[in-house]
Amino acid sequence: MEDLIGQGRAAIDMIIDPDSFREGEVGELSITDEDFGASAVIGTAELDGEICTIIASDAMTANPKFPVVYAGIIGLEEGYKMAQAVYHSIKADKDKPLAEKRSIVLIVDTPGNGAGKHEEIFGMNKSTGAYQMALADARKVGHPIVAIVVGRAISGGFLCHGLQADHVLSLGPKFNTMIHVMPITSISRITKLDIEWLQELAENNPVFAAGPDYFYKLGGVEELIDSIELIRERVVAHVAEVRTKKLAGRDDELGPWGRGALSVERGSRVARSKVIQTMDDEFAAVAERYLS
Amino acid sequence: MSSKWENIQKRSFLESEARTRALGLVDPGTFTELAGPRHRISSPHLPLLGEAVEFDDGIVTGVGLIGKKPVFVASQEGRFIGGAVGEVHGAKLANIVRMARKAYDEMLASNPDLPEEKRPAVIISFDTGGVRLHEANAGLLAHAEVMDQFQDCKGKVPIIALIGSRVGCFGGMGFVAAASDVIIMSQFGRLGLTGPEVIEEEMGKDEFDASDRALVYRTTGGRHKYIMGDCNVLVADSIAAFRGALQEVLGKLYAEIAEMSCIGSLEKIQYQLKLVDLCVETAPKDAKDVWKSAGNENPDDLTDMPLDEFLTTVKRLTDRY
Amino acid sequence: MSKQLHEITFELKAQNPTDFVEDFAHFGVVGSGDMEVIIEQKNLDGAVKVKIVTPVTGYDEVWRRVLERFVNDTGVANASLEINDNNATPVVVSLRLRQALSEVD
Repeated sequence: MEDLIGQGRAAIDMIIDPDSFREGEVGELSITDEDFGASAVIGTAELDGEICTIIASDAMTANPKFPVVYAGIIGLEEGYKMAQAVYHSIKADKDKPLAEKRSIVLIVDTPGNGAGKHEEIFGMNKSTGAYQMALADARKVGHPIVAIVVGRAISGGFLCHGLQADHVLSLGPKFNTMIHVMPITSISRITKLDIEWLQELAENNPVFAAGPDYFYKLGGVEELIDSIELIRERVVAHVAEVRTKKLAGRDDELGPWGRGALSVERGSRVARSKVIQTMDDEFAAVAERYLS
Repeated sequence: MSSKWENIQKRSFLESEARTRALGLVDPGTFTELAGPRHRISSPHLPLLGEAVEFDDGIVTGVGLIGKKPVFVASQEGRFIGGAVGEVHGAKLANIVRMARKAYDEMLASNPDLPEEKRPAVIISFDTGGVRLHEANAGLLAHAEVMDQFQDCKGKVPIIALIGSRVGCFGGMGFVAAASDVIIMSQFGRLGLTGPEVIEEEMGKDEFDASDRALVYRTTGGRHKYIMGDCNVLVADSIAAFRGALQEVLGKLYAEIAEMSCIGSLEKIQYQLKLVDLCVETAPKDAKDVWKSAGNENPDDLTDMPLDEFLTTVKRLTDRY
Repeated sequence: MSKQLHEITFELKAQNPTDFVEDFAHFGVVGSGDMEVIIEQKNLDGAVKVKIVTPVTGYDEVWRRVLERFVNDTGVANASLEINDNNATPVVVSLRLRQALSEVD
């Protein structure tokens, strides 16, 4: 297999325990309408013997009600459906101890959010915004969330379905994985700079160029995986690692904030740390005036 | 009261730059800017691409007071690269939200009975198209950090979004606004995810003509978002009007404010899904069709009537669904 | 083909100097065709130190002339001026510099 682009369902089977997937079911949630949010796949599976929620995109199934939702795009229904899967995971484990909160695995292969008239009239920003908040909520109440990029993780699509995870993993670039906001060709067109020059620049500064390598350098991806066969093993390992950190109360090392710290380790996003330090120091000097 | 602050109150919110908005929204003389121009933390990435820099990287962050309440303020400058979010800009936004939550935690730890009027709040004046292309990867990661910090504020610190500036609030920042507890807009404010040009490219000019300004406003503008229930308060275009609405909202109990948000719980998204069903059932050709669904018999009249009349006349989707 | 921001620095002296007494002033937004400036008090033996950061090249002499006129007209002395520019015309530059000074008053 050369790559997994467009094969979200195959990726699910590669990761979970054999024949354990119950599609459409998470806790009390049971979705029977096949057309509802058809481009998003949600359900419950076993991962190394433990219950887990699976959320993926199905690039092969378009949403018949929304013409802009195809090829793995997350539309209005899809965003809310994915959010439902997360909230029902939280609800199902509400009374369980931290060690038993089910993991949530995000299989990422999406070119983005639905970009259409109906989407804007009704507020696409709420749909996938809701999904992001649901994931952040689940992460903070103790569910280990691991995202694995198997294909496309483009801009707002990656923001919604991926970047709120505790850990983000990605297949390496040789599997044609794409992580970017905009391809370098578009950046070249807009900035009127040569592609060659931009690529040379990207070698020393990963902030704009397209590709999982650059996101790795920025701390935006915890680990690059260089074999499709290793995906399952690495996902299981990261779920365990994340759970251990949560049990130890080391939540600040996880999720987007944790990846901010990771960028420092990897020698990038240096300005970010400087900004935070400056603001904190400056406020400390005047805090008394504001906080009583 | 300083005459400078008084003058600011009368100004158009739409025409005001970020720092003016920040100063005018809080009580006179109470604003302290954090990581402001004095620190000269401009983007380290823009110079490599030959792009002009700004000492504050296009966002004013600071702290002020509204009454006794400490408010942590972020105000974006749309005139600097469209208010787009790069590494520095994004870190300032994420951290001002984090600072509010940390202040809350510290204050409540030392005084669990701290009256609500003294508890911190966050206000964000949006003027942005989302991720800054020139440092897009860092900008995207910063968006995720902001959403993360927002979730930390849940149950503690109210977040109020103000949208009434030139660029509006689009791209990834559309998510951030949606995740706020309350959205205050003027009729000149625009809120969405995808800009009009991209929709035209995706759907064709017949379906959506991005050069039709009236259409763009009907789809993403303040009046439309107010009818949809996405905008909680619609105000006139002055700093005083935004500040007035802000004071009123911040005067409420936290629980009431949190209830005003569009998303953030299973119940709230179940309601949103009802609206998605309405979209499928009615297949609106234009936002005006949805206004009709909300109970407005003559939707054409709504676009041009004066704001006061609009507010007393209009039926909102939230009244009916 | 590379593009870099261009940096211009020079020192000027007003003919009838009056010290810049404020500690710090900032004015302007780096919009298209616009600029911002920071004016800061510095003990420079009566001189004014200017630093301009701009994407535009080839206008060093124009900048010097505009700044010279500003310094002579206002008498500003013992100050450093830092400008971030994005294609501002000389008229806009003069206007913003004067506005920055009047902010202080």
